[in-house]
Amino acid sequence: MKIEVLEKDETNLRLSIKEADVPLMNALRRIALAEVPSMAIDEVVMIENSSILQDEMIAHRLGLTPLKTDLDGYNLPEECKCQSEFGCSLCRVTLTMDADSTEGTRTVYSGELVSENPQIIPVSDKVPLLKLAKGQKLKLEAYARLGKGKNHAKWQPVSVCAYKYFPKIELLSEQCKDCAKCVDICPKKVLAMKENKVEVRDLLACNLCMDCVDACPQKPSAIKVEWEKDAFIMNIESSGALPPERIIQEATKILDKQLKEFEEQLKVGVK
Amino acid sequence: MIIPVRCFTCGKLIGDRWEEFARRIRTGENASDILDSLGIKRYCCRRMILSNVEIIDEILRFYEEAEKRREARNMY
Repeated sequence: MKIEVLEKDETNLRLSIKEADVPLMNALRRIALAEVPSMAIDEVVMIENSSILQDEMIAHRLGLTPLKTDLDGYNLPEECKCQSEFGCSLCRVTLTMDADSTEGTRTVYSGELVSENPQIIPVSDKVPLLKLAKGQKLKLEAYARLGKGKNHAKWQPVSVCAYKYFPKIELLSEQCKDCAKCVDICPKKVLAMKENKVEVRDLLACNLCMDCVDACPQKPSAIKVEWEKDAFIMNIESSGALPPERIIQEATKILDKQLKEFEEQLKVGVK
Repeated sequence: MIIPVRCFTCGKLIGDRWEEFARRIRTGENASDILDSLGIKRYCCRRMILSNVEIIDEILRFYEEAEKRREARNMY
């Protein structure tokens, strides 16, 4: 298998993966979406809420705010040694908020959450959580814990985790009349005209829609769009909770763990 | 009511971009250009911001007025 990084920044990762197959790619994608743990607020104790939003709505908004996650320092509550309903310092982080408005209406942002662990803080401190009119108050205590995307979407570490086949575009130059119909119809602007000749400008953007093949007036078509059977482009967009490369590393670890468990159970079963 | 924290469809965090969008749209900038520069690419996330109406501001006016009246009463 050959992996090449096409694009990488804080939240995005685009990989070209060659000599792989669909079952593996799909397993990694599904694990990244549903099984890789991340931190999110799960329980909220309202001490005082005189704002115009209901307790439940504020709790929901707090839950959806992504938190920076430290996977090595915390356990999943169901795997933690404490086995306590309320959690312990290894599986729970307490965040508090005490906001009021003394002068006119103001917006309360996620940055006003005070965490007991300075590493576990909201990804962005500019998320508007609610608005308070003069004299209104909000005081709460929130408990964040690790969880999995299959239990609630707030624990999903990725917003996009998708793969597609690696495209292969062939221009049959002897048949092509350079009418530029394929260039105009392409929704992803993969093709371009250069010195009155059609050329492939951005191969990786192609989503294999085949519009260019249909638009070609030549019969048979002068453009051929195919894909490589064993090469993929994988796109991972993190919510900010974990770096995207960490998410895919965790996904491989989880797949490994699941396969090992399957093997052990199989051995026990067939004996 | 108030800008949702995440995109309903894909789950991308969009709440933190609303205020910049609202500020720049008031200066007459093109909505599509603002969304591009904020890094909101997919149409699911773009509609979250484009179609949001901050109704909370309308509701809060009632509470502002009530507070003003209470203050006026306390003055005498």
